[in-house]
Amino acid sequence: MKPVAAALLLASVAAASAALPPPDLPEGKWWKRPRIAAEINLSGEQESRIESIFASARPVLIDRRAALEKAQGELHDALEDSDADRRAIGARIEAVERARAELQKSRILMVLDMKQVLRPEQWERLVRLQESVRRDRRERFGRFLDRRRERDGPR
Amino acid sequence: MQNENEIPTDHLTDQELFALAVPPAGALEPLPVHLSDCLQCCRSLADWKRALSEIGREDGELIAGRSAEEWRAAEDTTLAAIRRAGAPGDGRARTLRWALPAAAALALFAVLIAGRSTPAPEVFDDPSGLSAQDRADDALLRDVDRLASGEDATGGWSELSPDPVNPNATPAAEKKS
Repeated sequence: MKPVAAALLLASVAAASAALPPPDLPEGKWWKRPRIAAEINLSGEQESRIESIFASARPVLIDRRAALEKAQGELHDALEDSDADRRAIGARIEAVERARAELQKSRILMVLDMKQVLRPEQWERLVRLQESVRRDRRERFGRFLDRRRERDGPR
Repeated sequence: MQNENEIPTDHLTDQELFALAVPPAGALEPLPVHLSDCLQCCRSLADWKRALSEIGREDGELIAGRSAEEWRAAEDTTLAAIRRAGAPGDGRARTLRWALPAAAALALFAVLIAGRSTPAPEVFDDPSGLSAQDRADDALLRDVDRLASGEDATGGWSELSPDPVNPNATPAAEKKS
């Protein structure tokens, strides 16, 4: 691929990841969870293909997670350092955000590859499942807050 | 770290998870040792924190996204509702006396039906059937989600915010203890 085309592709991916919220799927290795697989009628062949996509992405995810954590550690140290100047801290902040963007890009591209394996209705069902998990989490949290308010009064 | 065959049993209660997710102003909660051994409680705490950030984000987006017209419309609606409530014997109010319980009953029925057709969300997240490698991968993916979305508060950002109750406190130092 020519450098200009590659740069344009990278720019478009970065723009897309900045403009759109990342896909919201069940957390973790959802395709290995029997209940989720049953809910979306995931076939064995689809599970193998998704596992293979993840296996290809895993080394990149591990490296980029490590790079982000390293950059975060360096920023933390710079903030703790009483001699650090604004320029040095600014560079550390940029390094953290660049590392985060790289990690997010790898994640989104992996999820997009997984999406290609699923039929549209399976994808829809998967997204709806995650919505129900989020809703349940919020309701559970709300119920707890209500109970706490009733017991303690407003904080 | 947690041995795959040794799963701690004394899990943190909702009360303890809440205290860790929403520490009282001016008092940072020390992290219980249990958290370093129990994957389930780590996930529960992450869930609580995520729920909190979702509530804050969605409410904020809702309010921030309102146009001037929408603000006026909301104000008018509220004022109209107050006027209606202050008018006894109004025909609409009499109708509402019946309509509201009926709507509540229908909503309850719908919730019960929906609850029967979809299993409780917790069952989708049960890690007990995963192999050791799958659990490691699972943790990696959760880590990536959390870090990529910026939900982590590491790197010094949170430490920079002054504590409104005790502006002279040094949270970073406290957190390390």
